[in-house]
Amino acid sequence: MTQINMVQSLNRSIDQLMAEDERIVVLGEDVGRDGGVFRVTDNLLNKYGEERVLDTPLNELAIIGMATGMAMYGLKPFAEIQFQDYIFPAFDQIVNNIAKVRYRTGGRFNVPLIIRTPYGGGVRGGLYHSQSGEAYFAHTAGLTVVTPSNPYDAKGLLVSAYRMNDPVIFLEPKRLYRANKKEVPDDLFEVEIGKAAKLKEGDDVSIITYGSMVPTVMSTVEKNGVNADVIDLRTLLPMDVSAILATAKKTGRVVIVHEAPRTLGVGAEISALIAERAIDSLLAPIVRVTGYDIPFPYSHEEFYLPDEKRIMTAINRVLKY
Amino acid sequence: MAMVGNLSNEQAILAYTNAVRARTLDMKIISAQRQGIIGFHVPSQGQEMIQIAISMLADKEDLIFGYYRDLAMLLQRGVPLSLIYDQLLSNSNDLQKGRQMPDHFSFKEFNFSTVQSPVGSHLPLTVGAAYSMRYTKKKGIVITTFGDGATSTSDFHAALSMASVFNLGVLFICENNGWAISVPTSKQTKTDIYKKGAAYGIPGKRVDGNDLIASLAGLQEAFDYVRSGKGAYLVEALTYRIGPHSTSDDPKKYRVDEITDGSENDPIRRLENLMLKMGVVDSASIQSIRAQAKEEIDKTLEERMSIPPTEPSSIFDDVYEKPSWIQEEERREINDSD
Repeated sequence: MTQINMVQSLNRSIDQLMAEDERIVVLGEDVGRDGGVFRVTDNLLNKYGEERVLDTPLNELAIIGMATGMAMYGLKPFAEIQFQDYIFPAFDQIVNNIAKVRYRTGGRFNVPLIIRTPYGGGVRGGLYHSQSGEAYFAHTAGLTVVTPSNPYDAKGLLVSAYRMNDPVIFLEPKRLYRANKKEVPDDLFEVEIGKAAKLKEGDDVSIITYGSMVPTVMSTVEKNGVNADVIDLRTLLPMDVSAILATAKKTGRVVIVHEAPRTLGVGAEISALIAERAIDSLLAPIVRVTGYDIPFPYSHEEFYLPDEKRIMTAINRVLKY
Repeated sequence: MAMVGNLSNEQAILAYTNAVRARTLDMKIISAQRQGIIGFHVPSQGQEMIQIAISMLADKEDLIFGYYRDLAMLLQRGVPLSLIYDQLLSNSNDLQKGRQMPDHFSFKEFNFSTVQSPVGSHLPLTVGAAYSMRYTKKKGIVITTFGDGATSTSDFHAALSMASVFNLGVLFICENNGWAISVPTSKQTKTDIYKKGAAYGIPGKRVDGNDLIASLAGLQEAFDYVRSGKGAYLVEALTYRIGPHSTSDDPKKYRVDEITDGSENDPIRRLENLMLKMGVVDSASIQSIRAQAKEEIDKTLEERMSIPPTEPSSIFDDVYEKPSWIQEEERREINDSD
């Protein structure tokens, strides 16, 4: 057991899985010699060679389409898209092929593929290195969408994603890549997909969050002594509806925090689930604290990202209602 | 006895028979579509020769990624007519469980992958499949077909680029039938399609896709090249779409037909004339092949029509290996409404 950050955790997990399973190939832009621009695939090329670690041409559609064909015919590809902002040329492949191959062939083919991609802001990356596009994927049946918020979950979710026989969109909050260290077991272990984590027990208010916002939420409630129930969703499709409803019923006051824009974001679905199934328990309106409905700005990104002040304003609003 | 080159009389007769079966089937589907028995159809008429030539040269181990207009190829590859009808009818015997529009086939046992509607989007998959076959040391090459419209998609260029950089054995065959729905090839591209591989270091050639002998001869070189491990190859087969893009459009609106069913330049007629001239068949055997095809096509449809449709609640299966709570909950909604 060692203290490692999320990049180290992912790197070691991929390495361990590749050592165990020859079907795994890693492909993407700069994943080989450079070890990925965030170093998640560092040293894998030296260890496993060019046949298993492919530096590809700069074409996301080609990377994802090729990985799909590999997955349908016996391999277990881990495809990397350098920034989630660059995934859109492959969106047709993801929505129309990857998500539908099992369905359209009556279950005779499947696509056991992991698409890893860093997302979210906070690294001064401007419009095109900062977006949080999880809702685009979570709207598509056939996909599974996960996002870890710490090095432990990163490993557990990756192992679970690897053991699935269906495609997984693995969203890595890049701001947390090196933000904290955690003890991560050396052995392979799973974090169950579809299951949220309760990070803190409390009675006054529920905060439902995931990915990059988790540390911000935790430091906010700790610093301000909020008696909050805090849920880290970890999986966005399918969401842990039981955990969401249980916390909403327990406190009757819900604040949802995510970095992605508000309109039709993941928070809208959480809030609809609660409104449909637990409205009798609510003591206050459900409030969302999210990124703004604007393109991600280069200047003033600190104003775009939900912070302690905005989260506390929302908490106080529902507590005082 | 050889008819022409390496083509035996038996092979020629089989090819001709399958071309006639494909044409007869096509006509039958269109009439069934008009009667509301089959929902939709994308006819393959006019493209039988190139498709049959592909199947004649493809081995069992070769993996084919076809498109939605490859009926004759499937028949020549040995796919039973009954299974084709089951897909067209979306009945409970359909291997794909009624999930796809007619002509979007998948026959895993015949190494025929899966067909999607978005044009050209199977092409990047072919290079991944070829990578996998090489990596796992499987025998065979990957063969893929697509229309002229597909050569304008990003997917086509992405696939050529990947096949070239990773030196993958994919045989790309464009069935250039002159039309992408209503848009002629001249509006699709300013260059010859078979030359489009040059930018990627992929050799290409054009063949007369309406002539079985020319198709076989032209394709042979391409197959040999790919089988030898030299990499990908691009064939442009010039052919012609007799009839509409699908049962949903009327070509009278945008073109004058250049080839019609049964005319002297109809590819099937051309093969028939050659075989008659060479004495491979006589007009009595031609009549008998046609009559047998008609009987088989009519009878099999009748038979398959009696197979019931799938259960409505099966629409929630195969979204994932195991349905999530979301599909289970939604499935209960339709079960409760029964």
